[in-house]
Amino acid sequence: MNPAVHMDGITKRFPGVVANDDVDLAVERGSVHALLGENGAGKTTLMNVLYGLYEPTEGTVFLDGEPQSFDSPRDAIDAGVGMIHQHFMLVDPMTVWENVVLGNEPRTWGGLRVDEAAAREAVVDLSERYGFDVDPDARIEDVSVGVQQRVEILKALYRGADVLIMDEPTAVLTPQEVEDLYDVFEELTDQGKTIIFISHKLGEALSAADDITVLRDGVNVGTVASTDVTREDLAEMMVGREVLMEPATTPQEPGDKVLEVTDVHADDDRGVEAVSGISFELRAGEVFGIAGVDGNGQSQLVEAITGMREPTDGEITYLGEAMAGESRREHIDRGMAFIPEDRQERGLVMSYDLTENGILGSQHDPPFAEDGRLDWRASRDHAESVIEQYDVRPPDADAEAESLSGGNQQKFIVGREFERDPDLVVAMHPTRGVDIGSTEFLHDRLLELRAEGKAVLLVSSKLDEVQGLSDRLAVIHEGEFSGVVDPATVTEEEIGLLMAGETLADDSVEGAAVHDAGTDLGEAGDEEVDA
Amino acid sequence: MSRSDAGDDDGTGAGRIPQIASRLIAPFVDRSVAERLLISVAAILLSIAVGFVIVLVSGRIAECSTAAWTMPLTGIGFCYDPVEVYLVLFNGALGYPFAVGEPGLFNPDWSPFNLSFALTLSETTLLIFTGLSVAVAFRAGLFNIGTQGQLVVGGLATALTVLAAAPLLPAGPIAGVALIAVGILAGAVGGGFWGAIPGALKAYTDANEVITTIMLNFIAANVAYVLVLEVFRAEGSSVVATEYVPEYAQFLPWFFPGSSDFALVALLVGFGFIAGLYYLVEHTSFGYDLRTSGVQAAAAEYGGVNAKLTTVRAMTLSGAIGGVGGAVWVLMSEGRWMASVPSLGFDGITVSILAGNNPLGVLPAAFLFGLLKGGALEIGFRTDVPTELVGVLRGLIILFVAMPEFFRMIGRYTGLGSRGPSGPDAGGSGGAEPADDAAAVEGGETDA
Repeated sequence: MNPAVHMDGITKRFPGVVANDDVDLAVERGSVHALLGENGAGKTTLMNVLYGLYEPTEGTVFLDGEPQSFDSPRDAIDAGVGMIHQHFMLVDPMTVWENVVLGNEPRTWGGLRVDEAAAREAVVDLSERYGFDVDPDARIEDVSVGVQQRVEILKALYRGADVLIMDEPTAVLTPQEVEDLYDVFEELTDQGKTIIFISHKLGEALSAADDITVLRDGVNVGTVASTDVTREDLAEMMVGREVLMEPATTPQEPGDKVLEVTDVHADDDRGVEAVSGISFELRAGEVFGIAGVDGNGQSQLVEAITGMREPTDGEITYLGEAMAGESRREHIDRGMAFIPEDRQERGLVMSYDLTENGILGSQHDPPFAEDGRLDWRASRDHAESVIEQYDVRPPDADAEAESLSGGNQQKFIVGREFERDPDLVVAMHPTRGVDIGSTEFLHDRLLELRAEGKAVLLVSSKLDEVQGLSDRLAVIHEGEFSGVVDPATVTEEEIGLLMAGETLADDSVEGAAVHDAGTDLGEAGDEEVDA
Repeated sequence: MSRSDAGDDDGTGAGRIPQIASRLIAPFVDRSVAERLLISVAAILLSIAVGFVIVLVSGRIAECSTAAWTMPLTGIGFCYDPVEVYLVLFNGALGYPFAVGEPGLFNPDWSPFNLSFALTLSETTLLIFTGLSVAVAFRAGLFNIGTQGQLVVGGLATALTVLAAAPLLPAGPIAGVALIAVGILAGAVGGGFWGAIPGALKAYTDANEVITTIMLNFIAANVAYVLVLEVFRAEGSSVVATEYVPEYAQFLPWFFPGSSDFALVALLVGFGFIAGLYYLVEHTSFGYDLRTSGVQAAAAEYGGVNAKLTTVRAMTLSGAIGGVGGAVWVLMSEGRWMASVPSLGFDGITVSILAGNNPLGVLPAAFLFGLLKGGALEIGFRTDVPTELVGVLRGLIILFVAMPEFFRMIGRYTGLGSRGPSGPDAGGSGGAEPADDAAAVEGGETDA
């Protein structure tokens, strides 16, 4: 029997670069296939070829043994290939069934009117057939991200997709929703659908996929059955060398109180309360982690702490002094380093070179400025030292920030902030977009800062990162801590429940006493391997 | 190490894509100084070419007894000869260094200290100040249309201060220097105050500075008019104007003819302002704050820049420079404040745009517009061509300079500079979310 999808010798060249180099991919009908690789490995390009967005320079796509030639996604859809993008394309104020049929509505009155009853009926049938728990009349804006994803899948199925391509489907989901998604995968494959999903997370490829194809530098490194490989094998295939997966932390007696947050409330930009009464304290030599699905108030909390946003209520005490209402400048001057979540909006001035970016935040302070005059020589030396220590590429202080890749931009920001000699480091997604090798290095540096007695507030959506590095771990849900747990003993399921806003019944939720977290910090949950 | 890193390192593979893309988009998104220069020169040449055609066409429409120029082969006659127009324009603005009628031949009687060249330099000097005024606001991301009003207020403050202070000092050159210094200071304070108002409105009430500065231009012009008409009008004056400031308190023309309204020392003051402002913008903490606010406000805020204060400061500085322009206008050109203030502030906007908002670029840009001003007068004297055609030429230059700026704006708003509509070559570089190699290669895959 022919495989459902067979991509034969696909080469895709762009001017000056080969994104896919003679890639073969065979996916059996009714299986789940993971396409694994770092960013830039060519995963999305390959899938865009399959989805008709790109025409391959060389090679042929076969569906069920039939050679295909797609000029556009329209052709691919007609041939039964559906793609679910990472960012959903749904109309928020419309209902589930309206979104599913949008663009392909059943018509009456000679095509003048949408046959609403038939459309709704079709959507209900479809979701029942695949066992989706979706209310067809709910508005998109009222349903969870997991449900929205199912609506996207329904959309593809409604258009007759037999092969579903999903781009990083778990990126926006809580662990429970991820489990639900795996159930959906199973239901779909049972009914003969074929699923290809793009991922750079080893864990999910291992648990969800039947087969895994690893791409590196646009080349198929190998296709393996998920039962035959380990994480370490996959990481090595992706990176091309052996990778140390777990950061090694040592127990440490925390020191003086550095930061105390008491019942802080803060609004988001629209004036809606995003942080609803959060309290915690952070001591020198301690890493306090905050986990949670993005958009649950961690941005606003961090902004309130770093002086970017005025809290509406509550107190923030830093090194014994009340900080609420103080300027951002004051926060910097008192030794607070801040790695912002948005490196291209805030962390770097994109049109400045690295010399200029190296003094962002320190532009009034010696040795870079004296009496209001800037010392560009000292600034350049500083930038070059950050570039060298943090392996920023290209190693050129004159390179403009926008010419750097995302990971290198991030490394430069982290380097600049770590080298500020801070008392407190507020790090938001510090390794987002950074490749595994550099992530390892940044984690080591973070733990060095901890060993030097700095306090670290670590916010990350990578569960393994916060779990592995933190001494204590808080989980944030809708602006409140749904729990503060010991990262050494908590399970991923428990964190997932907390992320979804549930409370843990047993006593694994602790008050404040888990400072002596064990040496063996957290079995790494889901190694995220970013480029 | 990721693949994209390797690409950056050895210059092969993935690294190329963003390089190519940035090279393609750079002219519209983030031009370097050299590229700005190139565009400005190209715009000037292009406008001269288009102006050539316009002169011809208008020469066809106009009526005259003998054709100034006849097109070869066709025998069609034109009333205006475009070559002559340009020769008179540029040659005349310099005071005819080249013999009339024999282009290319140096005129041995020419001296730089002639009346026409003085007029050109006078305009240049004034435009340096107004151009710098607009440029410094631009660099902070503020569109100061109000330089005109700041110049009006600054000029009036200068005239009134010098008139009030003059009797307190014995007449003479020392008093003159002191009065000029006090006058410039008064102009800076007056203009700075007038600039601070829209700055504060912007910072603390979120009022759009374009609107407020335009309105403040009207207020400045009309309040100053009424004030001078009712209170400070010179006795027996047929126009609405103050008394003349004493002769010794005006800039001396030095080598240039006394009737030229130009003083070399004022131009030197202008050079000083250019150098000073360049240093301020590029080599001081305040300049860093100002520029960062201008290019990326969110990053400036992150870097501890007080956005409100920077806005007020930048507008105050901009207004102060415009006010100094008014002081120079009073002390060099007119010798008094009069209600018919030329539109120097608005011309400053065009100078700044042509200069790419770079203080150093203001000098050649102001000189070009000075040339056009001086040349326009010569065209009026020497040819039948209406001087308005020179205005058309000025407009064309700005039109062509502004068009790439336009592309750049379009690029920003549509995200062309950040992530293209499709395909890898538009995938990454430039604006808001640039050059992730991965994003470029994978046509927009986001990291993490």
